[in-house]
Amino acid sequence: MNDSLNLICYALTIQIFAAVIIAFLSDNRKASAVAHLLLIAGLVLGFISTFNILFFSSSTIQSFNLLGIPNNFFRFDSLGLYFLCIVQLVAIPTTIYSYSYLKHYIDEGKSIRSNLVFYILLLVSTQLVVIANHAILFLISWEVMSTSAYLGMIFENEKKEVQTGSFYYLIMSHIVVLLLYIFFLLLHHQTNSWLFSEFHISPDSGNLFIILYALSLIAFGMKAGFMPFHFWLPRAHPIAPTVFSAFLSGIIIKTGIYGILRTFQFLNPTPEWLGWFVIVISMISAIFGVWYALAQHDIKRLLAYHSVENIGIIGIGIGIGFIGSANNSIPIQLLGFGGALLHTLNHAIFKSLLFVGSGVIYQNLGTRNIELMGGLVHRGKYFFILFLIGSIAISGIPPLNGFISEFIIYNSFFTTARELKNYYPLLMLISAVGLAFVGGLAVACFTKINSIMFLGNARKEIRHFRVSFYEYLSLGIFAILCVVIGFYPLPFVKIVNKVLTHGFVPSNSSSILLDINWFLISLIFMSIIVGIFLVYLWKKKNQKKYGAVISEAWGCGNPDINSRMQYTASSFADELNEISKSVLGYHKNIKVPKGIFPVRGNFESHSDDFVDNKLLLPGIKKFSLFISKIRFLSITDIRYYIASILIIITIYSLIAFLWN
Amino acid sequence: MELITTIKGIISLLVILGLAPVFSGLVNKLKAIFTGKIGAPILQPYYDLKRLLKKETINSGSSSFISNISPAINLVVVIIAAAILPIGFARPMISFDGDIILFAYLLGLARFFQILAAMDIGSSFEGMGAAREAAFSVFAEPIFFFTLGSIAFISGLTSIYDIYHSISLDNVSYIVFIIVCSISVFILAVSECSRMPVDDPNTHLELTMIHEVMILDNSGIDLFLYQYSSYIKLFIYAMLETSFFYPFGVKSYTVGIIIFIVVITALSMALAIVETITSRFKMKNIPQYLLFATAIGVLNLLIYTFTK
Repeated sequence: MNDSLNLICYALTIQIFAAVIIAFLSDNRKASAVAHLLLIAGLVLGFISTFNILFFSSSTIQSFNLLGIPNNFFRFDSLGLYFLCIVQLVAIPTTIYSYSYLKHYIDEGKSIRSNLVFYILLLVSTQLVVIANHAILFLISWEVMSTSAYLGMIFENEKKEVQTGSFYYLIMSHIVVLLLYIFFLLLHHQTNSWLFSEFHISPDSGNLFIILYALSLIAFGMKAGFMPFHFWLPRAHPIAPTVFSAFLSGIIIKTGIYGILRTFQFLNPTPEWLGWFVIVISMISAIFGVWYALAQHDIKRLLAYHSVENIGIIGIGIGIGFIGSANNSIPIQLLGFGGALLHTLNHAIFKSLLFVGSGVIYQNLGTRNIELMGGLVHRGKYFFILFLIGSIAISGIPPLNGFISEFIIYNSFFTTARELKNYYPLLMLISAVGLAFVGGLAVACFTKINSIMFLGNARKEIRHFRVSFYEYLSLGIFAILCVVIGFYPLPFVKIVNKVLTHGFVPSNSSSILLDINWFLISLIFMSIIVGIFLVYLWKKKNQKKYGAVISEAWGCGNPDINSRMQYTASSFADELNEISKSVLGYHKNIKVPKGIFPVRGNFESHSDDFVDNKLLLPGIKKFSLFISKIRFLSITDIRYYIASILIIITIYSLIAFLWN
Repeated sequence: MELITTIKGIISLLVILGLAPVFSGLVNKLKAIFTGKIGAPILQPYYDLKRLLKKETINSGSSSFISNISPAINLVVVIIAAAILPIGFARPMISFDGDIILFAYLLGLARFFQILAAMDIGSSFEGMGAAREAAFSVFAEPIFFFTLGSIAFISGLTSIYDIYHSISLDNVSYIVFIIVCSISVFILAVSECSRMPVDDPNTHLELTMIHEVMILDNSGIDLFLYQYSSYIKLFIYAMLETSFFYPFGVKSYTVGIIIFIVVITALSMALAIVETITSRFKMKNIPQYLLFATAIGVLNLLIYTFTK
């Protein structure tokens, strides 16, 4: 087993080496090829060894010798390994796509070196974040991860929207790190240790327990993008290079989930109300995330809102787990956390697929506005099939992987109702209805983008639409993963079960996750596919006999139907947006052509984010007003400046001296 | 024993597949009688289906493979969903813990592809229908969980067959419960199967339809598959409705069958009466109508939980 662990370290070294080698190769093209090759080699090696431990080893590793030297900077426990596995798995196709993505910029003669280095740094630091055992190492990796993501994000920094969008991300990262410092210092103060493996505080410690949870939920929740703190996602994702937005949405926001789960390991059992609090916040994130997404026209912005939705679904699972912990029920914890963990993996896969897909479209069409697309299926049929697989998966529809994790979360509702009786059935029912509602909205949203982008006729002339081999490879790997987890979930559920029973929930071996009849579900899914195939064959045979004609669509007798007469994304979503007008801030400007000689009419629809418009932007305005008021305190002369620093240091020292 | 259960399950499924069009025919016949017409024979849906099988298919020039496979997906998915529901006290073909969720989500899969296929035509008529279908089904989903789901949560069981089996009649509030549930499911059926107050399948104006306009451009075997699956879908909802009444029978197979026939007939009467005396709602009022069903679902659940 130690061999596998050493291999993980070698894998990380290879990845770092990929960054070093860029400096020595002068040719951009060569540097990119070599670096990506090394990176993929490192990731594959890392993934195989991580998966090896996670899947085959029976025990978990607490202490570990790095190249023969014992140390406790790293910790390869089941939770860390699981997230490491997700990072490496998703990073492989993303890196493949990155190669093809950067090639476009190399062809344009743009220097991609710095961007590539930031990407590698981001990859390595993210892997370090999930295996760090020492709080300081964790904070350093976290900071490197956030900063390199920011630096990668501003690749096209000559654009105004890139500057503002990334700035929000930067501010968010700083607030998160500040809160994390306080969090870990408090933990250190309490336990007198810097090691994750030794952090443990029981709820008896009163207020501190709650303060720690508050800090963790705000900090990690901000990173994950839970609802009031989601503001950075729809800003940062559209402007980031696709590789980074795929990685941000697939992996980086999951480090927030990782953080919350780690916090649970430090601080348990949780109080009951905390579980409810998390469920309510998550439910709000899920419902409004998808509803805002429905109103978007920018494909990447839309996907960013969907990340909020899916983080909400993961959060619901975590909330149920907290309730299980409060009531000391192992099955509830297993199902709640299990659903959350599996959805984390699933979301990482299909969201990366969709982001990579949107990047391919953006590079070909030069626009992210879905209202200007259409008919792409006639240009790239296989590309559409891959994108469709991601869309079905994210909508949580059988037979793909999104359904499997949502199925576990539904099961956790039922089990909670059954185990805890009392008023729980009612509350769980409301949660289930909420999740069903989210599912319905997700179907509406993804039928919208798929049909507007790919089906019908092109709304704007498509000059060229080419999908390179590497792009197909990257999308294909993601799609295969979606299909495999959907059709054969048992091994993945086994892994999740193992992660949970090894050091996450008290190892009273309840096998509720494995008791679900996964075999029958696989069988049903298979029979659906076989059935569709048979009916399709029958249909083809019938068509051969009676004929199949291609003609024009019915237009009430109007012979010239053109692509501008098709339903648009705004009109598709209008029905649902109208209902939620006040909350979503959805508004339309309609200029109807009037008079005998009508002039051109006009229609616009916008959706403003409630948090943005009512809380964030006015808040920032007030804050900057306050800053401008205390401006007289700011001193421009360097001598005064130094003097004031000296005075403050003296005051601090005096306080410290007198305190003792 | 195992074999007999399986055979019973298969027979149930075959009964559903065979009888589904009769139900629609019955509703239409009754409706015709109520409005003073003679009406088409009850078996008319079969004749229609048979006719469709012998026609050529016509597809729009801008359509893709989605229009091609969507009818097949629709039919298969609806059949699988039908295999989860019990007739009488026979164990259905597919029955496992959690099948209630699979049932709800399978219909979502059918809907997903139907909407895509409608948008595939590239005409604004189909787009209109697709947008409405997407919007109204969002509100229909919670109704399902508030009715059938609520019994699941109260009984702690997650298999549809077990859920119905577990209900005992010693509780008076169950009577109230099923009355309200029946109304909710009725509204759900009306909206999901595009029947009268929500959708008018017989109108001549494309702008006012929901389901019909989505399949406006389909013909031949494509239309056959769509029509047949929508017959099965209506029948599925009728079965959901009848299931509430099974506990009234002693747990025997024959009584179950009798209840099944009685309730199905009563339901077709109800559908026909509603279709005769109401006109279609304004499109913007439909969400309110569906929310009404949700609201009484909540109410009814509260009654049931607190009188327990």
